[in-house]
Amino acid sequence: MFPDNIYSYFLTKDKILNYKSFGKAIIGTLCDSVPEEVIHSTGAVPLRMLGLSKTTENADVKMPSWLCYYSRRILEDGLRGHFRYVDGVIGACSDDTKMRLYSLYKFHVKPTFSHILQLPLDEDEKSILFFRDELAILARKLASFLRSDWSMDKLEGSLKIYNRFRSLCQELNELRVGDSPKISGVDYMKTILGSTSMLKEDFNVNVQKLLENLKDAEGIKDYKLRVHVSGPEFYDVELLELIESLGAVIVSDDLSTSYVKGHIDEHGDLLRNVAKHYLNCPSLAFFRIGAKDKIQLIKDEVERSRAEALIILRDKGCENYGWLCPLITEELGDFPALVLDIDTPIFPEQYKTRIEAFIETLSD
Amino acid sequence: METSEWNPLGYKPLYRELFKKHMARQEELLRRGRPVGWFYTFYPSELIYAFDIVPAFPEQYSAYCAARGSAVNLMNFSTSMGYGRFLCDYFNVSIGAVLAPEKATQPVMPDPDFIVGSRGLCFAHCEMAYALSRIKKVPHCYVTFPYWTREIVGRHDSLTKTPEKIDSRYLNYCVSEIEGLISFLEKVTGENINEEKFREAFKLAEETSKLLIKILELMTSRPTPGSQREICDLVVPGFFVLGSPYAYEFAVKAYELINERVKRGIGVTSEEKIRLLTFGIIPWHSLSLYEYCERMGVTFPVNLFINESVHLVEASKPFESSVRRTIHFTNADFDLMYDVVNDVKHVDLDGALLIENPGCRVSSITVRPLAEIIEVELGIPCLILEISQCDPTITPLERVKMQIEAFIETLES
Repeated sequence: MFPDNIYSYFLTKDKILNYKSFGKAIIGTLCDSVPEEVIHSTGAVPLRMLGLSKTTENADVKMPSWLCYYSRRILEDGLRGHFRYVDGVIGACSDDTKMRLYSLYKFHVKPTFSHILQLPLDEDEKSILFFRDELAILARKLASFLRSDWSMDKLEGSLKIYNRFRSLCQELNELRVGDSPKISGVDYMKTILGSTSMLKEDFNVNVQKLLENLKDAEGIKDYKLRVHVSGPEFYDVELLELIESLGAVIVSDDLSTSYVKGHIDEHGDLLRNVAKHYLNCPSLAFFRIGAKDKIQLIKDEVERSRAEALIILRDKGCENYGWLCPLITEELGDFPALVLDIDTPIFPEQYKTRIEAFIETLSD
Repeated sequence: METSEWNPLGYKPLYRELFKKHMARQEELLRRGRPVGWFYTFYPSELIYAFDIVPAFPEQYSAYCAARGSAVNLMNFSTSMGYGRFLCDYFNVSIGAVLAPEKATQPVMPDPDFIVGSRGLCFAHCEMAYALSRIKKVPHCYVTFPYWTREIVGRHDSLTKTPEKIDSRYLNYCVSEIEGLISFLEKVTGENINEEKFREAFKLAEETSKLLIKILELMTSRPTPGSQREICDLVVPGFFVLGSPYAYEFAVKAYELINERVKRGIGVTSEEKIRLLTFGIIPWHSLSLYEYCERMGVTFPVNLFINESVHLVEASKPFESSVRRTIHFTNADFDLMYDVVNDVKHVDLDGALLIENPGCRVSSITVRPLAEIIEVELGIPCLILEISQCDPTITPLERVKMQIEAFIETLES
């Protein structure tokens, strides 16, 4: 099993369509603050919705073209009918764009099921309990829509699968930090993207095989610079391929689409445990937990992976990185950083000179 | 195009008086060494009077910079420091004003002792509160409100913000958030809330809010009695100084003026030809646009943006009122837009002029679905213009005028 095989599920949605053909409902999530475990425990297949359209001419009629390409591409795929297999969508109040992306998607694409989770801005006990109740409402509403039985036992089963998923991803991530990383940033990203388009229990089997394959790999030796990549949702592997083809190796990242960490307690009040995990996880929201946590995460990851430089992939319309970016670079002081403003369609070549110069300067 | 006589309501001296009294209060409190707080809209403004706080409003200050011509320099400075071009204009203007005060319109805001952000409209308010508190090295606090949905509130009245219901779980959570804000203010001021002043502020706010709502209802009369050039500043008594005696005094006089005018059947223009609904953050740098339109006989009996700034306060339920204040269609799932459009069905309207503000996700993402709903439900055409609230270089005023003129010609033909 190779990353490209797993990645193909992200591109083709073959697995998703297969589940669908067996009568499984597909529930799309519009934000990584939506706990997939809850969806999974109702018997549905959670799908992280990421638009694959390269251009957004239909979405640009329905929303301003200066907005982040992440939201425009989701709406574009919705308008083009690429998400026709999706039975319902779940959003979260995690930022101004995502809240209204939920409403906009609902307004134009009209999925059969829709729900938005209210997210507190704090992570104290009051907020955890509020979010726990939000999750209970979602679980009951979704189970009613699916005419399925939802129970704590089922949630416990889902938690085990997702904890296993997180643990395997962390194992894979660790393979990046050695002197000779056993997996490239591109292959890591491809693998994680594959996980968004298949049941995690199936992904776990695949990634276990991948880990076995990689165990004896020689690793990457001929690189010039170890870099950490930061940014919001990012899933265009072409740009990462360019970075690595120019002599860098991506040893860590905190992208919302590929950062997987943590473990949810499988005992006690399970919904509360899920709520606590999602309100505390630094990769899940930029603002809710405060920029200092996000910046600390970057510092920790840089230290863990021994990255020598930082590349920020800033979606030019991203509200979070719009204000977070100067704070990150300021906090990191003299640590070398390159900020790339990204918009779709992405033409990697246009970034080549800057990336090349950045790598060459630092590796001299 | 032919122009006709322009008869504004005469609110200008009333606003001048309001600002004079507000500034006098500020100066007196600053002399007494009272703490300064920076606040964003949709927080319970009554609290600044219950705590004798000196308030400053970065959004309002940014609008002031836009009107006085310094906003573009400040935004450029902010983006040169790495802040994104597509952040809210208010974000970049206030960052610019804080980092380069010499470039800002004077007087700048007094230095804050704390900053309060509210998620009653957008995350940007909280992001700004965070970023500015970091620069100023002062504590900050957020108040969270839900992104309202039909399931939580049912239908709502778009002027009073009275919902059919509020799910008690959300209401209780929001009330606890406001209680948290009060605790924060008690901590930063070192004083307990003054219960008597709290009650008095809400009592004044209730009376003021009733008058502001009546003013906006009277604006829908035929002919349109007032100018949007004057109505747009209702955000000040509606959002920022609600609960003050001077906001109440303003509202009494403003109501008398518009009521008298409606009784006498006098309009803002001697020859009303076209009546437009409008929405979007006001282009503060080009307020003359409204006069220009009104002189052409084009009036604005409904401004949904201004309607968002008012709500019916119930002094007997101060916390619930403060929560209801945030039930507006720009902080809600799009189903609630139908309520807003339904509420203006009785108004004679010929079209709608909707403004998309680059950087403002709230207004910009909302505008196009709103246009679709207006066209279907009201059967009137919409013109959507992209106009920055602070940066006149995005869409030059002359181009805006040309587009509006073309739209008017279409409506007249």
